[in-house]
Amino acid sequence: MELAGLANYAVYMVIFIGIYSILALALNIQWGFTGLFNAGVSGFFAVGAYTSAVITSPEAMSRIGGFDLPLPLGWAAAMVASALVAWPIGKVCLRFRSDYLAIATIGIAEIIRLVIKSEGWMTGGARGINQVPRPAGDLPYLQSQLAYMAIVLLVLFVVYRLIETQIKAPWGRMMRGIRDNEAAAAAMGKDIEKRRLEAFIFGSAIMGLGGALFVHFNRSITPEAIDPMITTFLIWIMLILGGAGNNRGAILGTAVVWIIWSVSEILTDQLPHEYAIKAKYLRVFIIGLLLQLVLRFRPEGILPEPAYGPAVNNKRMQRGENAEAASLSKTGGASA
Amino acid sequence: MNFKSLALVAGLMGATALGAHSASADVKVGLLGGVSGPIAAMAPPMLDAAGLAFQQVNEQGGIMDGQNIKAVLGDSGCNPQNGVDAATKLVNIEQVIGLVGPHCSGAVLAVSNSVSVPAGVALVTPSGTSPEITNLDDKGTVYRTVPSDDFQGRSLARALVDRGTNKVAVAYLNNDYGTGLAQSFKAEFEAAGGEVAGFGAHEEGKASYRSNLAELSRGGADTLVIFDYGDGTGLTILRQALENGFFTNYVGADGMKSDAIINELGAENLETFMASSPVGVESDSLTLFNDAFAAAGGDPDTIFVNTAYDAAFVMALAIEKAGGDKAKVAAAISEISNGDGEAIKPGEWAKAKALIAEGKAIDYKGASGDLNFDEKGDVPGAYALFKVGGEGFVMEAALD
Repeated sequence: MELAGLANYAVYMVIFIGIYSILALALNIQWGFTGLFNAGVSGFFAVGAYTSAVITSPEAMSRIGGFDLPLPLGWAAAMVASALVAWPIGKVCLRFRSDYLAIATIGIAEIIRLVIKSEGWMTGGARGINQVPRPAGDLPYLQSQLAYMAIVLLVLFVVYRLIETQIKAPWGRMMRGIRDNEAAAAAMGKDIEKRRLEAFIFGSAIMGLGGALFVHFNRSITPEAIDPMITTFLIWIMLILGGAGNNRGAILGTAVVWIIWSVSEILTDQLPHEYAIKAKYLRVFIIGLLLQLVLRFRPEGILPEPAYGPAVNNKRMQRGENAEAASLSKTGGASA
Repeated sequence: MNFKSLALVAGLMGATALGAHSASADVKVGLLGGVSGPIAAMAPPMLDAAGLAFQQVNEQGGIMDGQNIKAVLGDSGCNPQNGVDAATKLVNIEQVIGLVGPHCSGAVLAVSNSVSVPAGVALVTPSGTSPEITNLDDKGTVYRTVPSDDFQGRSLARALVDRGTNKVAVAYLNNDYGTGLAQSFKAEFEAAGGEVAGFGAHEEGKASYRSNLAELSRGGADTLVIFDYGDGTGLTILRQALENGFFTNYVGADGMKSDAIINELGAENLETFMASSPVGVESDSLTLFNDAFAAAGGDPDTIFVNTAYDAAFVMALAIEKAGGDKAKVAAAISEISNGDGEAIKPGEWAKAKALIAEGKAIDYKGASGDLNFDEKGDVPGAYALFKVGGEGFVMEAALD
């Protein structure tokens, strides 16, 4: 009995970390490789989640849809919808430099959240959307979770491979080039605005996919799920902690943050009632403290950005960290 | 400072770990609340109220063979992510027998969909008001001690038909509050044989609603139902309708039961205005709870504390009734408060325990109302109609 419980909990953790890893990977495309400070993850997450929910849920009286269509269609639509929303936003906002882009994207995510909250004909408003199907959802608890875990891991693997391939390709080198030295990249004839837009849309589409995976796991979505605390800043913490610019780091950071968050509650629940309530706030503090410590003592994250290929001038050298080690492996060019 | 508090925490953990052996026969109940997040200010009193219920149980002989109820706290953060995480731990790691909470509707939907229903664990929420909770495919395991947002509209519709109003026009604010009320009102009003002769949404904050009102009055109704806020657009609509005499009678819901209306329009102009509003039913049960909660250091007027207390007490009664069998707790909840059996009031644990032991039916009359769960696990809630008197709003009649 206890063992089955532990298994259920472990499987749940893998599912959750898998879904959030996809979001962190998506943010990694935008921030880690392209240097776009997107502080509106929750907006694209929300568009994906609601799109897939409307498309795959059974018909409802109070809003458009549900269209009761097959799941893969919902997930594809989630990615397309997020990309479509990202396109005009990118067109307008990517001209801003990083801090301004962050402000603009926070605002846009908030607009999306308020639209979702108030346009009930489309999203169910504050009531949200219920009865979203989960694949293998009719199986018993553990089997159903196991099946979903397999799906999430498969999607995570595909997304990971996709991004890794893309980053190691000339496209990825170009993106890092634009990130590290925009003027030089422009001088070499790269269309910087267009390339940034590509990365922004690519990342946003993956965020939409993450939203879709999330909504089918919970079989419901309400505006509470797209709060920026839990769907934007938490993902930022995960990525920074794990290592921006490193896809494995993004996944590791997600796992570390969520395991600390989740497991610490098991410990604090051993406390007496009144201390247990107070300890809940301590958990929030610990996550914040962790971020501060990482930023202070290891700004490149647990797993720093790897050197992709011999001819790449990587970030570590610019920062002057590990300069000696890096210069040994370099043929020259950049000086630390 | 940090080190000190860490040492304190570690010490406390050690102490409880040592103490855990002697109390291993505890019955664990999961207490899920939005401790962090948007309702962080509301959650602690609600958790305290639930804790009071368990404390009373433990003081009056405990549960089943004198075991103690131990509440295991989970932080649902008022969002599905944290809610599901906390519930998964409570159900699987702590192996709780039932869940009291979570507090927010979104968390209730997610937790029941992905944890409590698949695991077959009963869930009672004290503050999830979303109508979607009614529609959950929950196999009879999800209950709530707070009425659904749908019910006020329906209750008001039945009351109007009962009072002889058969034709109305409805003006509602185009947000979740106004739309939800208007739709449930319309459905029930028409089902009861009334006619909705005008039904229009309006946007917030315009200077004039005369064209909306003219359109609504064209249907020939003499009563206008306004689902809006009396300190906002609802006031403008009511003023313009009164000035131009579009309708004779005006009815609002709890949003319109605002003192701003009386201050702005004057009580003498509001003789034909009524508003419905939820009432904590004045009852012995409520007084019993209020006294006990105040004695325990809580503020009984805090929102949702009485429903939180009821949710916890209901859970305890159901566990006792089910004999501690996790699979039977959900079914037992519908048996302990359905209008049949000897009345049990808040805090009367010893009496309830004795009756259950004798195999007699009990009917829990909660602090927030009689409860009486329906087959969807909802409670009907208590509403009353208010008229404007010299001293503000006065209760005209209770609604069924």
